[in-house]
Formats: sequence, C-alpha cells, structure tokens
Amino acid sequence: MLEPGERERFDTVMLPHLGAAYNLARYLLRDDHDAEDVVQEAFLRALKYFRGFRDGAESSSRAWLLTIVRNTAYTWRQRHQADALVTEFDEAQHSMAIADVRSEAARSSSAARATLADVFARMSPAFREVIVLRELEGLSYQEISEVVGVPIGTVMSRLSRARKGLQEALMVAHREDLR
Amino acid sequence: MSHPNVDSQLDTYLDGELPAMETASLEAHLASCAACGRFRHRRLALRQAIAGQLPRFQAPEALPGRVRAALRELSGSRRAHPAAASPAWRWLVLAASLAVVAVGGWRLGTNHTAAERLADEVFASHVRSLMPGHLTDVLSSDQHTVKPWFNGKLDFSPPVYDFSGRGYPLLGGRLDYVNGRPVAALVYGRRQHVINVFVWPVRGPERGATGLGRQGYHLLHWATPEYAYWAASDLGLRELHDFARLLKLGDSAAAASER
Repeated sequence: MLEPGERERFDTVMLPHLGAAYNLARYLLRDDHDAEDVVQEAFLRALKYFRGFRDGAESSSRAWLLTIVRNTAYTWRQRHQADALVTEFDEAQHSMAIADVRSEAARSSSAARATLADVFARMSPAFREVIVLRELEGLSYQEISEVVGVPIGTVMSRLSRARKGLQEALMVAHREDLR
Repeated sequence: MSHPNVDSQLDTYLDGELPAMETASLEAHLASCAACGRFRHRRLALRQAIAGQLPRFQAPEALPGRVRAALRELSGSRRAHPAAASPAWRWLVLAASLAVVAVGGWRLGTNHTAAERLADEVFASHVRSLMPGHLTDVLSSDQHTVKPWFNGKLDFSPPVYDFSGRGYPLLGGRLDYVNGRPVAALVYGRRQHVINVFVWPVRGPERGATGLGRQGYHLLHWATPEYAYWAASDLGLRELHDFARLLKLGDSAAAASER
C-alpha cells in the first residue's frame, strides 16, 4: 500500500500536528474521549490519503491534516452526538447563533455570569473552528480557508462575527465587574 | 478613511493579514482618531481574554502511542516477528528453540508459539476496541448491569467488579472472540487510560501474572483455578500489576463467599 519509507515520512511530517489535531477536535466535539477517537480516526484516514497530499503538496501539512480532522469530527458529530444538527452549519443559521450569544450574554448579566469560555462553547461550530484555528493555532486566513473549505472572505466574516459575539460577552462581564 | 472601514479592517490588521498599503493608511487613521483607537484597544483586550480564557487543550499523554499503534496496524508494518520487540524476548525465543533441540521435542516450541499467538490476538483485540464505537456493547459503570448483560451471550458468567473507589472504575463490557471462543471483555478505566480485561473459563493450575509488551501497550496474563485472564492497556506495567492484584483479591473474596 505504501512505498518503503513512506510511513516514516508520514510520521515525521504528520505526528507533530497531533496536539493541534486534538485541540481542534476537542473544541468541535466538546468531549475528551470523542476528541481522542476522532484524532485516531483522522490519522488513519490521513495515512490512507497521504499520497494525495504529497502529489498536491501546496498546502501546509498542518492545514492538510486539520482538514481531515475537521471532516472526521463533523462526520463523528452526525453519527454519534445526538445534539449535532447539520442545519447548525447552514449559513442562514449563523445570525441566529450570534443572536443566541447576545441574549446569553444579556441574561448572564443578571444571573450567574457566563465566562468567555461558556459563551464560546455555545457558539456554533462554524464560529468555534475559525477562532480556534486563528487564535489558538495561529493559522493564516489562506490555511483556514483550506481547512474549513470556504473562501477567504467567508473566513474573515466568520472571524469578525465570532469576535463581535465574544466582545459583547466580555463587555457584559466587564460591566458586572464595575458594578 | 471612514470609520466603518476601520471596523472591518482592524481584525485583519491585528491578524497580520492586511496588505502593506492599507496597513499604512489604517495606522495613520488610528493615530489620529480617538474612537477608533478605543475600538482597537477593546479588540486587543479581547485577544488577550481569548488567550487567557480559552485553553489550548493538551492531548492526553497516551494518545500519541495509541495513534502510532493504530497507524502501524493499518500499514501492516507490524514487526514480522513480534518476539523481536525486545532483546529479552529474542533471548527467550533463542532459549526456547535451544530447549526444543535439547529435549528433542516440539511440544515446548508449539506451546510457546501458541502463547505468542494468543498475546497477538489479545493485543489486536485491544487496539480494535479502541477504534471509535468498538469499546463497549454494554456501557455502564454498574457491575449489576454489566454482569447480567452477559447472560445468554456466554456459557459462563464473568466476574465483574467496580473498583472506582480504588481509581479503576468499571466502564462497561462487550463480547469478544479470543483463543477460538467467545469471551467476556470487561472495560475498566484508569485516569485517561482504558484497560481491557479478557476472561474465559479454564480448568487448570493457578498462574501468577506474566507481563509482556506490544508496541507501547502492556499485556498481563494470569490464571485463577476457574478463569484465564488477559489484561491489555497502555498503562504502565506496575499499575497494571496493581490492577491485576485487585481483580485477584475480588475473585478470591467471591470464591470465599460462595463456600
């Protein structure tokens, strides 16, 4: 299946991204064990398609692997996580998600205050993934666009909307502190 | 430059993705406009908050080993001879083959190979169980749920314990097929680690625990007068031995109460 030395190449090139793979899977699935399973499955898939990566070799190995991790995670959600709805990723739903974040932030000002992490966890995965890839993994817009499979303009607008939601949560929290 | 433009450009600028030309004019504007300066300040605070409050989740220690083992399994590049895994084993194999020559028999050689084959089987079963969705058929931490689940599925009722008080909680069980027969596989946890315990009935002498390694995993094999036991995990061998002692204690307590 693989040429001699191919496995070693794969290990050298891909295994260093295991931490990034786990972090992305963990944020998308919100579960330790699911994230571990998805990382393992993604690495197995990656090995199968490794030849494709080498032939195309334009994107970075990290973006290439994270693309597979992301797709594996989404498939996993549909298969195993009952709350995951495909409609969640429908572009039309995104404004809803932001509205939710806003009302969440507003509600939290009176009741127990939601932390930034709480608000983030309630955002739709389409927003979570761009923030994780940009802020935690430091991917470029180009790389994020490859991983998520949308144009750079969409990456930018999703980043901006996610940040707006987080900014509001933060400001609500801040006002609480001042009270 | 107008304010709305700054709004859309600022994140791109802070992400280091704004083209040089636009960067120069944006910076000039930020320096002169107090409102936009405050906006920039808020965005910087947000970035700081994200960095401080959204943790980068660390992969569990055992995950790299688990992924490597799965990759090896897939690429079929597993060592042709598992005994070559460690010099000690190589020596044992050599000693065994010498012994075969010395006694002029083949029985010892066959036995050795059978044990090795069984270890391979248990290891493969363990790795397979770690693949998504394969770990448990009955998912419960309650031994009184797990034990009856095997009724009618096996011709014996496997000993099931819950050692959550000792840090080895029961996670569930499943049917497996090892050594040419259906066996009970009981799944216990230890921190992030999974321990598979394979049990089937045997009639034979009691045997102390023997440990061996397979690609970063540890296997432990022992026998009570009633059952053959194999435990497989990526736990350290010492902890696996501790766990085996717990199981043995549980078995002898159960046997004592039946008498």
